[in-house]
Amino acid sequence: MNRRTFYMFMSPSLLVMLALMVFPLLTSVWLSMQYMTFRNINEPEFVGLANYVAVFEDQKFWNAFSFTMTFIAIAVPMQIFTGFLIAVLLDQVSRRIRGIYIAAFLMPFIVVPVVGTLMVKQLFESGGIVAWAFRQLIGSRFILTEQSVKSLILIHALWAATPFPLIVFFAGLQTLPDELVEASMIDGATRLRQVRHIMIPHLRSLFVFVGLISIMDAYRVFDSVFVLTEQNPIYKAEVMMLYTFRTAMSVQRLGKANAMSVITVVLILVVLVPFLLRTYKEQTEER
Amino acid sequence: MKRIDNRYALGVIYLILTLYAAFSVIPFFWTTIQSFKTPRQANSRAPLFIFEPILDNYTDLWLKSIPDDPMLAAIILVAIFGLLVLVAINAKRFPLPRGFVYLAVLLAGFFVLVQIPEFIKTQTFYNYFLNTIIVTAGTICISISIGCLAGYGLARYSGIAGVIVLVAALGFRSLPGMSYILPYWWFGQRSGLYDTHILLIITLVAINQPFTIWMLRSFFMNIPKEIEESAMVDGANRLTAFISVIIPIMWPGIISTALFTLLLAYSDFLLVRILTQSNWTLTVAISKYAAGEDPGHITLAAAAAVSAAVPIIIVVFIFQGQLVKGLTSGAVKG
Repeated sequence: MNRRTFYMFMSPSLLVMLALMVFPLLTSVWLSMQYMTFRNINEPEFVGLANYVAVFEDQKFWNAFSFTMTFIAIAVPMQIFTGFLIAVLLDQVSRRIRGIYIAAFLMPFIVVPVVGTLMVKQLFESGGIVAWAFRQLIGSRFILTEQSVKSLILIHALWAATPFPLIVFFAGLQTLPDELVEASMIDGATRLRQVRHIMIPHLRSLFVFVGLISIMDAYRVFDSVFVLTEQNPIYKAEVMMLYTFRTAMSVQRLGKANAMSVITVVLILVVLVPFLLRTYKEQTEER
Repeated sequence: MKRIDNRYALGVIYLILTLYAAFSVIPFFWTTIQSFKTPRQANSRAPLFIFEPILDNYTDLWLKSIPDDPMLAAIILVAIFGLLVLVAINAKRFPLPRGFVYLAVLLAGFFVLVQIPEFIKTQTFYNYFLNTIIVTAGTICISISIGCLAGYGLARYSGIAGVIVLVAALGFRSLPGMSYILPYWWFGQRSGLYDTHILLIITLVAINQPFTIWMLRSFFMNIPKEIEESAMVDGANRLTAFISVIIPIMWPGIISTALFTLLLAYSDFLLVRILTQSNWTLTVAISKYAAGEDPGHITLAAAAAVSAAVPIIIVVFIFQGQLVKGLTSGAVKG
């Protein structure tokens, strides 16, 4: 295919992405330098970098930032560890039974995030089974506090986001050559050493791939935190996306919200750039 | 591979897997149970597993008033949709191309759904359901049409520009949605498109386009070049070869991608929440049931959650083969 035909085929899609992804990002930078509420949408007032200063001086922003970082630091390793463990165990089970387990494991992955969050929340409502078990074991009611909402968000993240690493690792284990495992068995390797010296090195590139994707997904978590804190604004349990949302839609400080969203984009580049470089290398080699 | 044959070790493995499976499905199981209870039963101190199931939560959610003859209405609806499903299953036997039959069935089904409020008094929840169908269907149609062209171009062009487009698209896709949605909101306010289906559809198309082209490209790469080359030797130009030779064998890939687009468009929450005032889709509507003071909100929220999950579960069940193919092709990247 020559270059001209390529651009002909690409043009509709490219046009959509330029108009609705590249252009809005630039607009966001422009909006971040305006003072704008719902009243002066048509004639915003230029304020330069004042919005950025306001964001950096805002204690609530730093709270949201630190909770987002804590969330990533706890949720991502938890998801990857559980996903890997279950994938290795699932690999030991006979083919026929696997299907049923996989169907069950994939349920939280397929269901709409907001619906999944509502369903997890149901367990913790006053008549829910987990709330009941909590009363039986600890002897007090399950109440929503900053700590308990944060743990709820983490439990939900484990529930909803583990299927992704699980399935990727499981598919990766299927490509592990049998001879390698058999040879190590003859050499007398224990199961644990097989995991350590054969499986983990074999899946190394997948660990990096899943790790980067999971970090980016955890970074932009919104739906579940929104539902779990709805009408119960425990502000210290806010993540950056939610705080940006509230700043834009409830507080109506659109310039400041755009400044925050520009900051979040700049911060994510730390993870995104290595990820893109890796993909670029892969694709040019494959070509 | 030689598996573990120690019976105790195997027992432990099954135990762990079963516990994790239970962890995955208990919320579904519990919410479904709650949705058939009265608020009083749902709030009981000890969890209640044996009770007389009621449909009140679902009728409250969907209907303003129960039709005079609910049985008759139910039978008519089941008959109409049963007939449509029968036609779709037997599409091969009609003297028309299969695609036309499916399209006719889908349009007829949609027409019936739109007409229902004329005969049965429905709640606004039903309107949100219709909005979801319109937005999802619109997004799939546009997204797949332009995505197929781009995916094909990317699969066949070997220049560096192709790689750059792919990597850039992936980069844009990985940024938080908020960075696009706030400017969309502003465009929407200024252009008067705020709170319309059109704005939701074009923005959902744009946001999911990177994902669509990556996935379609990986399917197009599996189709040997020789197929369209032989058509082009016979005198067809590339576009005709693409439409008449490649697309017909691409259907499995297109359906797979459409399924993922459907899941993404149906699930989207943040974009719809910010860009609509009243024309919500189901996800935004049900988030309203998440919080509430009166004891009835738990059962109503449960019914809403189940109602929104059922269409997706049905679709996934019908197309499970395509779903697995899409997941294992490694094309699913965020």
